Amino acid sequence: MIISQFMTQEHRDCDTEFAAAEQAAANGNWEETEEKFMLFANDTLRHFKREEEELFPAFEAQTGSAEGPTQVMRYEHEQVKGLIGKLAGAIEEQDKDAYLSLCESMMILLQQHNMKEEQMLYAMCDRVLPQELKVSTLEKMKAVKL
Amino acid sequence: MFSQNGLSLDQAPPISVVFRFFFSGALFGLIAGVLVLLFQTNIFNPNSTEALILTHTLTLGVMLSFMFAALFQMLPVIAGVILPSPVQKANLLQYPFILGVLILLLGFYTSESWLFIIASILLGGSIFYITAIMLKDLIKLPNHSASSKGMMVALTSLTIVIILALYMTGTLSGLLQGTYYSVIKEAHYSFGLFGWIALLIISISFQVIEMFYVTPAYPKFISGYLPYKLFCLLAFGLLISFYIAKVWVLIDIFLALVLSGYAGITLKRLTQRKRPLTDATVWFWRLGLSSLILSMIFILITTFTDIETFKQLSYIFFATFALSIVFAMFYKIVPFLTWFHLNAQGYFTAPMMHEVIHPKTAMKHLYIHLATIVTFVLSLFIAPFIYLAGLLTILSFGWMTYQIVHAWKLYQHTQETGEKFDMGSMG
Repeated sequence: MIISQFMTQEHRDCDTEFAAAEQAAANGNWEETEEKFMLFANDTLRHFKREEEELFPAFEAQTGSAEGPTQVMRYEHEQVKGLIGKLAGAIEEQDKDAYLSLCESMMILLQQHNMKEEQMLYAMCDRVLPQELKVSTLEKMKAVKL
Repeated sequence: MFSQNGLSLDQAPPISVVFRFFFSGALFGLIAGVLVLLFQTNIFNPNSTEALILTHTLTLGVMLSFMFAALFQMLPVIAGVILPSPVQKANLLQYPFILGVLILLLGFYTSESWLFIIASILLGGSIFYITAIMLKDLIKLPNHSASSKGMMVALTSLTIVIILALYMTGTLSGLLQGTYYSVIKEAHYSFGLFGWIALLIISISFQVIEMFYVTPAYPKFISGYLPYKLFCLLAFGLLISFYIAKVWVLIDIFLALVLSGYAGITLKRLTQRKRPLTDATVWFWRLGLSSLILSMIFILITTFTDIETFKQLSYIFFATFALSIVFAMFYKIVPFLTWFHLNAQGYFTAPMMHEVIHPKTAMKHLYIHLATIVTFVLSLFIAPFIYLAGLLTILSFGWMTYQIVHAWKLYQHTQETGEKFDMGSMG
């Protein structure tokens, strides 16, 4: 379960950073919002990169399919990236209502996505990848930088 | 869940399928408000025709419509069940269902036996049709989550509720002798309120509480076993009640403890939210869960005393529980779906969730809802308050109806006039 554990923890860490940014925006503290949001955005994008460059290719090679779950996940990553851009725009304009509204969409989208990964994809990865490959994939993922 | 190439959008049904059930549920809510004005405090007498009519307007017309909306939306998203041709299925379900509910209510009012026969055909046919499809797909799932397991049990309970109801309508129409009428009536009521309504809400909450509010997951002993325990309790009650009618007293005590425990655990989870902001939907959940606990306390009290007021309070708070959770879901689902579908269709101008329904609008509904409950409770002691309760019920569901119509118009307006990102150019 090493893949599940590591990646699930990353989801939780991103949730915490996101919530901190949301609270700062609700308080009208835009400096803190930007700081926390940047942490969230960078960690989320690095997490996506780890998946798209290391985990998904390993899973696809093992299962021989590039059109299944990983394609769905890649598409959802694009949706999240789009929202990250819009949230950054709302911070730029210090538009509290827009920021909090986008936060709502982002959280539902992200939690739905995370659940699919945690309950299905990571569990499948832990099941189908041989132990050695899991260890090496995890090491490669940890080395990914933005 | 991942078998489709068409991604998230293909997993979700068309927005109209979900909206139309919310819409018909809200319209039945308006009818319920009018009935409260017409029937006044007669609705509090459990043996009256008025109570029977209002109960079925709320449980069948309002709650079942909302629950169909939730099932059509949630089955693909949280259980991974993709229903082919959802629009056709919604048509085959909704039209006979609405007609069936109206005819059944008329049957209760007039006691005309042929009305019960027609209502049985329409309601039995439409509800069995959809539960059979949903259950068949759920059973086939290779990987079950706590929610999908719970939904399966809840749908099984719904099937039992309808079978029991058909026995009763069969009796009322003169086709059956109705030897076991009172036993079946008690089981119908318990399976309907606890096995279907409470259990479906519980099953969905296992996933949406975590998803919407970013809380820790439910403990496995709750999410994994609670639906089965509840169902077994009810099934045990049904079987034994043919021999010992009083068994329901014992079952009610167990149910009250189990459901209060669930409500307590969920309230605790809501205090552990990572997102500290409290919007109207969090308050709707808190109100609903607290009402469930209150309802269960009053049920426990009624097992030891015959005071009618406690029984009436247990009904009022159970209805508050169910409706509050529906409103909580509604104010998340409708804005999210409007944004999500338009965004996924590539519209730059897709309205944000707050533009579909602003949090302040949801908050106003919370106050209306609270006032409605307070006036219903007051009317138990000061009868004229029932008029205010009826008017507030109409306002509450009128508010909801307006939000659905507004969201739908915004959706259509964006589709007609919005600028669209050309998906084809992505290659």
